[in-house]
Order: sequence, then C-alpha cells, then structure tokens
Amino acid sequence: MARRRFSNVDSGAWIEGEPAPLEHVVSVAASLLSGSRQPLLTGMGTDIEGARAAMTLAEQIGGVIDHMHSTAVLRDLDSMRETGVMLTTPVEAHVRADTVLLVGDQLLESWPELAARILGSPLRRRIIWLAPASNAKLSGYEVETTRLVVGSGAKRAAALASLRARAKGCPVANLFLPLAQIDAVAETLRAARFGVAIWSAAALDALEIETINGLVRDLNEMTRFSTLPLPPPDNGAGVLAACGWMTGFPMRTGFGAGMPVHDPWRFDTERLVAEGETDCVMWISALGASWPAWGEAPAIALCDAAAAFAREPKARITVGRPGVDHDAVLHNPDTGSLVATPASAPSEAPSVAQVLALIAARLAGQRAAA
Amino acid sequence: MKTCIKGGRVIDPANRRDAIGDVWMEGGRIIAPPASGEADETFDASGLVVMAGGIDIHSHIASANTNTARLLLPEQHRAHARRPAATPLSNAGWSTFETGCLYAQMGFTTVIEPAVSPHQALHAHLELADIPIIDKGILTILGNDDFILGAIRDGESPAVIRDHVAWTLQSARALGIKAINAGGVAAFKENMRSFSFDDVVPSYGVTSRQIVKALQAAVHERGVPHPLHLHCNNLGLPGNVETALATIAAAEDLPLHLAHLQFYGYGNEGPQGFSSAAPRLAEALKTAPNVTIDVGQVMFGQTVTVSSDVLRQFMARGQAHPKKYAIIDGDSNGGGIVPYEYKAGSFFNAVQFAVGLELFLLIEDPQRVYFTTDHPNGAPFTAYPDLFALLMDKDLRAEWISRLPPAALPVTTLPSLTREYSLYEIATMTRVAPARLLGLPDRGRLEPGARADVAIYRPGKDLAQMFRAAARVYKDGDLVVHDGAVTHYRFGRALNVAPEVDAKMERRMARYYDERYGLKSDFMRVPEGALGRAEPFEGVACRG
Repeated sequence: MARRRFSNVDSGAWIEGEPAPLEHVVSVAASLLSGSRQPLLTGMGTDIEGARAAMTLAEQIGGVIDHMHSTAVLRDLDSMRETGVMLTTPVEAHVRADTVLLVGDQLLESWPELAARILGSPLRRRIIWLAPASNAKLSGYEVETTRLVVGSGAKRAAALASLRARAKGCPVANLFLPLAQIDAVAETLRAARFGVAIWSAAALDALEIETINGLVRDLNEMTRFSTLPLPPPDNGAGVLAACGWMTGFPMRTGFGAGMPVHDPWRFDTERLVAEGETDCVMWISALGASWPAWGEAPAIALCDAAAAFAREPKARITVGRPGVDHDAVLHNPDTGSLVATPASAPSEAPSVAQVLALIAARLAGQRAAA
Repeated sequence: MKTCIKGGRVIDPANRRDAIGDVWMEGGRIIAPPASGEADETFDASGLVVMAGGIDIHSHIASANTNTARLLLPEQHRAHARRPAATPLSNAGWSTFETGCLYAQMGFTTVIEPAVSPHQALHAHLELADIPIIDKGILTILGNDDFILGAIRDGESPAVIRDHVAWTLQSARALGIKAINAGGVAAFKENMRSFSFDDVVPSYGVTSRQIVKALQAAVHERGVPHPLHLHCNNLGLPGNVETALATIAAAEDLPLHLAHLQFYGYGNEGPQGFSSAAPRLAEALKTAPNVTIDVGQVMFGQTVTVSSDVLRQFMARGQAHPKKYAIIDGDSNGGGIVPYEYKAGSFFNAVQFAVGLELFLLIEDPQRVYFTTDHPNGAPFTAYPDLFALLMDKDLRAEWISRLPPAALPVTTLPSLTREYSLYEIATMTRVAPARLLGLPDRGRLEPGARADVAIYRPGKDLAQMFRAAARVYKDGDLVVHDGAVTHYRFGRALNVAPEVDAKMERRMARYYDERYGLKSDFMRVPEGALGRAEPFEGVACRG
C-alpha cells in the first residue's frame, strides 16, 4: 500500500510511512541492518562526510557500497584501467582549449555550465559536435560549430572509429558519413594546439569511450589533445574519490568477506536486487529527490523530503541537503575538484553522516549488549 | 601518567646520545627523569633499540594523483587478509588507513606528501585526515602556474612572488613549496617534448632557471623553514647529471632541496649510453653545503610512478607495465600515472639501483642525504627496511650486486664501496635531520620537551626485519604499535606554515581568479571543519 502523504513533509522520520521519533527510526534501521545477511548501501547521493560514514558502516556490517550512477562512472573508469587516458580539468579546458570535440547527448544536462565555461568563452574555439542530440542547441552562444549528425548506437560508434582511423591516416570503409566530412574533422583535430574531447558517459557505451580515448592518445603523437569526461550527478565523482582512498577501489565494493572486494558485476545494485542477493537496501540520496530506478522500496531510506517511493520504506529519515542545509565537501564540476561548500540555507536537518553515525552507534550498542 | 622506557640502547643523535639508558614520557612529551624515579608504567627495553619516531620528507601518500593511481590499478592492491576488528579498513590494500598502519609499524610518526597542486589541496587534506596514527603535511606546487610564470615574465618585483608564495601556502595549508620540472609542464601544454634548465616556456618567455631561482629566493626570504623542494628537469634521461649539476650551481648560497636525486644521476657513457654519474653529484654537493638531497632509491619489483612532471610521465608512457596510464593536464602541474616494473635483470634498472646506493654511500654527511624511495616511484615505502639493511651491511649489498647484470657493474662504482651505515647514522638520517630540514624543533629527538614519538626496535641478524616491525611505537606518548602490529587508531595532524598574507595579495588573487578563470579565489580553501577530525592542523613557525 502506497503511503505518500508524508512525502512533502520537510523534516522528520517515519516507520512505514508513520511519523516516529528519530531515535526510534534509527534503532529500527540498525536492527534491519544487523539482521541482514547482505546489506546494500546504495544511491550514495551524498557529500564526502556522508560517503566516509557509509564506507565505515559498510565495513562494520559487511555491506556493499554502490552509487546510483556507478554504471556511467565505471564506463569511464574501465576505459582508464584497461588502456589508459589523457585527462584535463574544466579549468584548464576553459583557459586553453582551442578545439573542442563534443560527443553524444546529455552534455548540457550533465554540466549546465559547459555552455558558459567552455563554449561561450571569449576564446576563439573550433567546436565539433559528433552525434548531437537531435534537438540540442547551444543557445545563446554564437560559436562556430561543425555538427556530424549520425544518430546513435552502432552508427555513432562507427563514426568515431572512422574518425580515429582518418586522424591517424588509416583507410576506412563502410562509412555512415561522407569521407570528406570525416577527413575535414580529422584535419581540424590534428591542427588543434590544445584540443579537448568532452562527453557524458551516461550517453555513450564503453567501446565508444575507448575509441575517443584512443583517438586522443593518437593525436598526442603529434599535437596536444586531452579529454574531459563530464562527472556524473549526485556527487558521483566525489564518492568515487572517497571510495578510492578509503578502500583502494571504486564503488561496487563489498565488505562481506571481511575485506574490501571490488566486483562491478557482483555488486551492481540492480543485479543484487533482481537476483534477491540483498535482503536489506539502504537508499541514500541527499542531493536530490531521486529514488531507486528498480522500483522496489528500499528497507531504509536517508533521503530528501520530496522523495516518493513506490512503497514507503520501513525506516525513512529526511536528511539535509549538502551545501544547502549544512556545510559540505562536494565534487564541483566547474573546477573538477573537491570543494568545500558552505550551507546556503543552514537548517537543523541531520546530515547523512550524522544519521549514519547514530546508526553505527546503535549497532555498537547492540553488539555490546549481545 | 609517567611512562619509563627502561634500559634500552637509546640512539638520539640530536643529543649525541648512543648509550643504554631510560626515556621518560608524560602528557605526550618526553620528560626528564623525575626526582622520585617512580613511573606509573615501565617498559623493560633491555636489549632493544630506542629512537625518536621516524620522519619521511617525501612520500606520495595522499593526493588526487595518488588516488587516480589506486583507481588505475585495482589489480595491484587486493586485500590480503581479513581485518583485525579494532582498526577499520587497515587491510584495504593501498587505502589511507593501511598507509598509516604500515608507517606506524615501521616506527614512522611523521610523513610528508610532497606534491599537491594548490587547487587540489582540500582533496589531499581529506585523504590525510583518513591516514591514522601519523602526523603529516603537504608541500604544494608552484612553478608551472600562470601566476608565477606571468609575474616573472612581466618583471614583477620579488615581493610579489614572496606574497604569492605566502598566499599559496596559507590557502593550501602546506608546510612548504615544491617545484616540479619548473616551466617544463607548462611547455608541454604547448607541445614541447623536452625541457631543460635554460629552455624557454613559449608563451611566457621565461626559463626554468628563472622560475627556480625566483621561488627559491621567495621561500627563503619569507622565512619558510623548508627550502624550495625541487624536482629538476630531465628526470630519468641519460646524461641528465648535467642538469642536476647546473641546478646545484645555480642555487648559489641559498638553501635548496633536491628531490629523488638518483633519477638525475645518469651519465651517457658505456656500451648502452647509460651510466652512473653519482660520484660527480656527490663531489658537487661537497662544495654546496646549502643543498640537501633525498635519494629516491629504486628497489626491484612492480610499482607505479606517480608524478606531477606531466612531460616526463607522458614521454615514459611507452614503458608502462601493465600497458596503461593516466596523463593529466592539470590547472598547473597536473599529473602522470605510469605503472612500471623495475627488474633486477634489466641493465637500466640495475644502474638506477646502483646510483641510489652510491649517493647514500658517497655523501658522507647523513644530515644532507635522505632515505626516500620517492614512494611509490622508486619503490613503495615498505621497502625502507630492506634499504636500511643494504646501507648497513656490505655483504648483503654484495649479494644483491651478484644478481645484477654483469654489464651494469663497470658503469657504476657501487661494487667498490665498503661503507656501512651505523644505527646512529640511520637515526640521524631518519630522525633528527628531517626534523631540522622541515623546521620541526620538537621532533626527531628524545630530550625533555620533545614530542613523545618513540620507536623501539628489536635488533637482530635480519636488519630489515628489525625496521619492518617495531617492538613498540608510541605516538604522542600513546602506545599504538605492539610487537609490530597496530593496536588502535588515533588521528594525527597536518603540519603547516601560515606566513602572514598581505591584504593586497588577497585582493589581487580574487581579481586574478575572477578575470582568468571566472572562479572565486577561495574554491581551493581547506576549512578546518571540512575534514571531519578534531583539530586537524598544527602550525609550524616560520623564521621571524
């Protein structure tokens, strides 16, 4: 039975949709976790403090850590750890890029400032957009843009491969675009003094990303070219960083073996839920009102007041928004770094880190009592 | 509570002490033996060696680049054992938590991360905050950034460079300034593929020599205790000893620290055009008492090179093993992560190994040569115990040398060197000398008033084992390592200098960031409250 009548309340804690004291909800959450054979901490839309607290808790309870945008994060990461990458920062791209290769959709959606910081700067840049979204416009920015419209899927992948081949001077066949058009773009890329390729991993597949990285590696044999994969939302890059230094691994890491084990397939949230391999999901999403894509209700939710679930979680706690309700460290897409972000409208709402600390303390109390 | 470490062999070169005796501690400090002679707790250290906690001046333990290396190489740091419950994440391979534990187990209590871009300072401090037990600090990087290069090009006064150095130190909460291939990384962005001391950065018209000298003077004149920490041009290339010699000569009489000098100790002689030039460096250093060095010793095995010398790392990408890398054109220096395997059977790696040891053995003053492996570039810091054993035992060296390719031996002097470090010299090099070099007057020594960071080792035939697993380690008087194992966590602090910043420079930087980057100049600040630990910082005084 869906109980959504509390979904607009702006603070508080609930047990199965009924308001309850915070301490009680914390204690229920702790019991759910301690009674679980395979807990999963996912969503992970939180600041660095929240990520640190989640990792610490996951280790204590033998849980799994995943992030709602892990699929995109791992697409970029896999390309790096398979073959290597050239990377730059949004700051350096802003001041230096004379040539920008945009690939695919979801660019402005991933980083709205892309237009202002890269495309609309006073620097004269050559912009090439390979496979733009059909309705996408760089509105308001009077820049010279070459568009290569090829659609998506196999055609886009093939166009990227032909571009890489032609940039390297190799012959190509079975083109989806006129050779002259590809060659013109290849020549523009080769003529760059400092080019930057930009994409969102949410819109491309792994092979396409690898092809772009290969293209950029090839271009560096003669000129300078780098890449700027756009960071995923919900502090995906920040959580990745904290996972990295705390466990050595990215998200999709489990602690059930008594040590961190990273396995992108085994610890994929959707798979764990679909296969019934987790019996207690904690959904953490403090940076927006998002909810699990798989539709099932999580047992525990630390979320925005506006989050609406198919069914109310057993334990639900409204947490403050990082950088709004409380000071936070978040990955900042404008700087490409972790940035301390003061609260814009400080409130009493607890942070993810605070709630997780309460749960951890409760678990420690339960263990001591046992 | 008074603790007495009783009857150990106390080696404290700061006080010229090497004798059986007691060390007393109370309230996190070393104290004089109390008149009563009564201790609340006594540890019988007879047969053991007692030293101050070790200090590492150059180890890449916490930065965005280090983290990229972790993520690049998941196959290289699988956890190997289930965790001891008391110390969370200590078995997570290459995690910050493991780093703190491994250092503590070797008796190290202070470690400096030497390469943090000012824009990435918060990231580095967050990683440091998750390194348990040890105190730590960062050096922040200047010398490829637009502001400094532009200021030198425009002929701005030395006062501007000084103020900018102060502003950067304060913004990054750093202990000192490092320059890494000064000018070379900026030149690489303009597609230069090699860069020497007198080469010119295209858009700025300034040379590496100008940048280095400007920063060296600014750091010194601003009273920062640690001199400019310099990673020279042409790292790793045959014949690059000339670069190092030119750099030493250019230092004139001002203090300068040269990082991982081993990587610059190469001639181009012999059948392979690659030879040791360590004796020339050792000779040059004799007449340059203002220059200190650390070695960056190579030890054999798989590792990963993590460096903000983006040009060098890019040029080395073909040697990646396994075949993958990350080359990052950053806001100033950026980074390059290239995994690499040093092989005992490789002529080149054998010469590198020899050059490092030659520097250790030929530079006679243990206060001017530091023991680094440039972790993880020459080897992981966990190789220190083996390195100390090699320095202390010429027979062990001979055994290692016998496994090297015979062709490598004639191009080095290593086989002819018979010097053996004493424990006293090891203590000098790892304790009092680094404390002096970093400006930390209450560390690296065991006199009353000093910080109660104490490492107690069990000597034995296996010298490496002695240093690998301390019998006991006290951090601020708290027993944190027992029989080579960490017993519990405490969290140390990040040491930093905070020279006063001119209000004009504050305003100027705000304007600069707005005009050049369209950003607020405080985005890289490191607020104390952001680190999630109580009292995360400790101030270090500048010279008045």
